[in-house]
Amino acid sequence: MAAAARRMRRYFRGDQLFFNLALLIISLICLLPVVWVVSSSLKDRFELYMATPSLIPRHPTLANYEWMLTRADMSRLPLNLWNSFQLAMGSVIVQCITASMAGFAFARLDFRGRDLLFYLLIMLMFIPRAGGLMALYELMEFLHLRNTHIGLILWYPSAISVALFIMRQNFLSVPRELEEAAIIDGAGTWRLFLNVDLPFVMGGVVVVAIFEFVYVWGEYLVALTMLDFPELETVSIAVTKLRGWSAHFTSSVLAGYGAECAAYTVAMLPVIIVFILMQRWFMRGLSEGILKM
Amino acid sequence: MAEPRMQKVDQVRAQGKAAVVKAFVGELKTVRQQGWGNLWGYFFIAPAIIMYIVFQAWPIIRGLFMAFSDYRWLLPETHGLAGFNGLDNWIEMIHDKTFWRSLGIAFKFTLLFMPFTLFFSLFVAVMISKVQHPVAAAVYRVIAYMPVVLPTSVAMLVWAKLYDPKFGYLNVMLQKIGVKNPPNWLGSPKTALYAMTIPTIWSRFGYWTLLFLVGIYNINREIYEAALVDGANGWQQFWYVTLPLLKPVFTLVLVLGSGVVSATVESMALFKGTSGGPAESCLTAGVYVYRTAFIHGDMRMGYAATMSLFLGIINMIITAIVFKTMRTERA
Repeated sequence: MAAAARRMRRYFRGDQLFFNLALLIISLICLLPVVWVVSSSLKDRFELYMATPSLIPRHPTLANYEWMLTRADMSRLPLNLWNSFQLAMGSVIVQCITASMAGFAFARLDFRGRDLLFYLLIMLMFIPRAGGLMALYELMEFLHLRNTHIGLILWYPSAISVALFIMRQNFLSVPRELEEAAIIDGAGTWRLFLNVDLPFVMGGVVVVAIFEFVYVWGEYLVALTMLDFPELETVSIAVTKLRGWSAHFTSSVLAGYGAECAAYTVAMLPVIIVFILMQRWFMRGLSEGILKM
Repeated sequence: MAEPRMQKVDQVRAQGKAAVVKAFVGELKTVRQQGWGNLWGYFFIAPAIIMYIVFQAWPIIRGLFMAFSDYRWLLPETHGLAGFNGLDNWIEMIHDKTFWRSLGIAFKFTLLFMPFTLFFSLFVAVMISKVQHPVAAAVYRVIAYMPVVLPTSVAMLVWAKLYDPKFGYLNVMLQKIGVKNPPNWLGSPKTALYAMTIPTIWSRFGYWTLLFLVGIYNINREIYEAALVDGANGWQQFWYVTLPLLKPVFTLVLVLGSGVVSATVESMALFKGTSGGPAESCLTAGVYVYRTAFIHGDMRMGYAATMSLFLGIINMIITAIVFKTMRTERA
């Protein structure tokens, strides 16, 4: 029996070797595009023009970044980054407030028509958002919210379903005893929400916040449609407009290719940092959010 | 986290869509007899509900009306009720060759995208679930999911750089292997759609992988042990235990994947605009709708709404078929 178990373990060791090797190769392929762009952004013109380019720059230089971020007459990249940051943070704050308030109400408060509204919300999720963009354009123009960031900060968090579900689920798991003690002490609805339940569901708020941040940072179509002026654009739109002039305006030591790669790297960096720092929350968000809906 | 307390609505939701509709109707009848309860409830839901009605529900309803009018943004006389033209848009759509071609491209794209992504993400998820070293498994999860968090436009542009015929790494490698004249991947109408599919798979498979992985982690260990006692080998365990129990995730992933039909951002980012790529070989239905509404001519929003409503109906049919064949109501 013991021998069989040992043989079993060795068998698994062989298995483990195979899995790890295969996953390592897949990971490398997965990382290749990003690594290539980051490394190209660190190369100077001569290295970019070399016949046999390498994956690791031989003489790393920050010239591409310097050029991209400081030549404000041609690149509005710092401004675009700031726009993205504003939009993302604004949407995160609005989303966290609306989702936690509504989640609390649906999980904890009894009021007439609560279940009715909840069923309605579930049913509305199955209706496709067809024709939405055209009507949204008209609506935003009517409200004078086109070409404003406020319009988008109100629009992004209005798709409430996933965040609402996550927050409701979290409020439902606040221990009953905790609340009962507070109610005996005479806590009203607001005290219950702010002092008792909200501290307990902070994990849910973090999940909602990071998903919203990543979503808004990368959102392309609606931002493109609602913002007409380059100085309002977010970075995920701005990077698509780089080709054309970047090759044209490059100085003697730079190639447009390297400068564009630098811009892409700068656009990716914030979400990659958020993602790596917060990776376990992403896992939690996936298991709490869309899979539970 | 403590086990959440269940409400009546959660039990109804678990029974599927039909139960939700039935409960909704039942609730509609009895709502007038219910007590008002805690009125703060309305205050707490107000911000979310108002924003939802204004920015989500209204555009859908307005879109339905738009689909039956000759609404052109740049011609004010066609705005509002004045533009109503009955079924003219629909008749035009039936005769619109570009639309049907773009729909065909969208379907081809989806058929290229779906099987690969499904197979690949399931494959990677199963492998990651087998890795026993917790740190190694976490690293693989992070790397697989990383492309998902990147802005879609940047993810596509990163690939455009890799595909670049002059500086791109892909053709360098191909030349090293011995390919004499590697194709100009994004520049030729023959290869453009395929070249567009790979980045899309890359930027989405991590999401599906993690959904599968969460599903696998949620499967009770004891079921595998029971299967092991019954003498099931690894392959049999996968086939008879893992796969059937992942059915809800499959349903979810298929529904998510059917949304790829429009694939607007991918195409627009890769080809820097609404041109639809070389010889319009990547003009998906979504891009065509966008172009009709916002780029071309008088900005024909009415006609675009018609096409996009049609796409929405197709999407709904696909979803219904998925639910029907998977026989799970809730993902």
